[in-house]
Amino acid sequence: MTTLAVLLMLLAGAYLVAVLEGWSATGRFRPAGPALSAIALLGRESIVPRKPDRIFFEVAPVLLLVSTMLAAAVLPLGPSLVIADMATGALFLNAALAYVMVALVMAGWGPDSAYAMVAGWRFLGQLVGYSMPIVMAIVGVAMRAESLQNTAIVESQAVVPNALYQPAGFVVFFLAAMCLAFLPPFDLPTAPGELAGGVESEYAGARLAVMRLGRMVLVVTLSAAVTVFYLGGWYGPVLPGWAWSAAKMLAVAAAMLAAGRYVPRLREAHLLAWWWKLGIPLALFNIFYVGVLLLVVR
Amino acid sequence: MILQTLFLGFFGVAAVWFGVVVFRTSSMVRSALALLFSQAAIGAMFLAMQAEFLGVLQIMMMATEMSIMAIFMVMYMMDPGGLGEMEMSHQKRISIAAGVLGTLAAVGVALLADWGTVAAAPPAAEQTERLGTEMLGRSMLVFETAGVTILTAMVAATAVAIEGRGAGVSE
Amino acid sequence: MVALLTGAVLFGVGLYGALSQTNLVMIMMGVELMLGGALVNLVAFWRFLHPEGYQGQMFVLIVMTVMALEMAVGFGVGTARFRSKGSVEMEEARELRG
Repeated sequence: MTTLAVLLMLLAGAYLVAVLEGWSATGRFRPAGPALSAIALLGRESIVPRKPDRIFFEVAPVLLLVSTMLAAAVLPLGPSLVIADMATGALFLNAALAYVMVALVMAGWGPDSAYAMVAGWRFLGQLVGYSMPIVMAIVGVAMRAESLQNTAIVESQAVVPNALYQPAGFVVFFLAAMCLAFLPPFDLPTAPGELAGGVESEYAGARLAVMRLGRMVLVVTLSAAVTVFYLGGWYGPVLPGWAWSAAKMLAVAAAMLAAGRYVPRLREAHLLAWWWKLGIPLALFNIFYVGVLLLVVR
Repeated sequence: MILQTLFLGFFGVAAVWFGVVVFRTSSMVRSALALLFSQAAIGAMFLAMQAEFLGVLQIMMMATEMSIMAIFMVMYMMDPGGLGEMEMSHQKRISIAAGVLGTLAAVGVALLADWGTVAAAPPAAEQTERLGTEMLGRSMLVFETAGVTILTAMVAATAVAIEGRGAGVSE
Repeated sequence: MVALLTGAVLFGVGLYGALSQTNLVMIMMGVELMLGGALVNLVAFWRFLHPEGYQGQMFVLIVMTVMALEMAVGFGVGTARFRSKGSVEMEEARELRG
């Protein structure tokens, strides 16, 4: 029952985020946009490149979708609205999201095409940049909750959400989540103008629909992760818990989508330089700061 | 207990099968990703043995490590796609003999030793906390040594891989 | 028991790979398989024989660290060699110079 409810919420969230993305990309608000384009995609013929690596080509979109759903399974949308409340939930989230990267590498290598391959390897480079800060930010959150269990992490924010308690960690995690979901300005894997679509360039028809759906669910999952870790999950005055979760998730997703439209795409070298020279020290400072707050101020 | 053995067996067979695929396929990227799935199966075995933190850690680390291995394979090996016919191995008989001998020795030890009784496992949340206490309490020296070793290895790998000014090779 | 057998077979496959492959990267993959087999055995020993002491898990963490480190340093050495020689085939590595 809870599984079904969470899945439905995820699907609704993915649809709304797709509408938001369409709005931010084209400037026109079309509520029926994703449904129409999904139907169009499913109806198109399925074009396969001449000599693809068959296994990778088929598996990549499915792995993208499966890994994001696995990551969403450990996120609580309400006090008991979680599919699998693992004791190491925060770490499992990171583990499942690492397979997003595997899926993109497969999608890059599979189609045997230059654009896709460059895009896939670029995402690997991007991962080298953001993966350390994202784990360090999670460490800061887990330190406050004294547990890796996601429900415990939300409950530790009953009074003060982590966004106010650890602002450095919040900024780091937010930007790293944007990197992971390859949203602009970090959208090296699917650079629309530069690489002709990157990893999505050789996919057509139903497989492209699955990849786009996977991408939307990834954005929703990461927004849910930001709310669970930093914005206090389901806490809020008047509405029921899940409504607050949904509202916060949508706000975060809208912020992620809007923030990138005003900054040009970051080059690989600059991206890595920023993450390693600024992001990691900031994340380490955040851990130190949270430690001081927990041990001294309490 | 039966369920645990079943899961262990399933993931064990998956790990071994992917491990064999690593060396039988001629496509380099398939090799690296097969190793990834073998290690993920090993991580799943950890989860089946109720070592939750270790299992999740293994799965997460191996995804990143093996993808990096994939890109290094593409960089350094000829024929990364495996579409040409190349003989990639040498001293085949010695290595098969060594492999089989190693397996038989380990299996022999596993079957012939008297291992004692099987105990119950503590719950997962408590495990993480107690692992942390152990790591920062009793095994603090081990932890610090590991940290220094990691730093040394990072510096060493970077120093070896950087192109020297005019020299071109490591010192 | 199943876990120990799996660890043994993984070790054997890794040993075969490490000895038979000519390329540095493939040899390292063999070593990773061997270490993976050792890890399976370690966790099995911890879980079934001594679940109350955590040195077993500590050992596993150290072995994982070693896996990552040997990959890092190995790739660093491979990069340097590739730059000076143009390939990382082990058959051609007969001299200590360069």
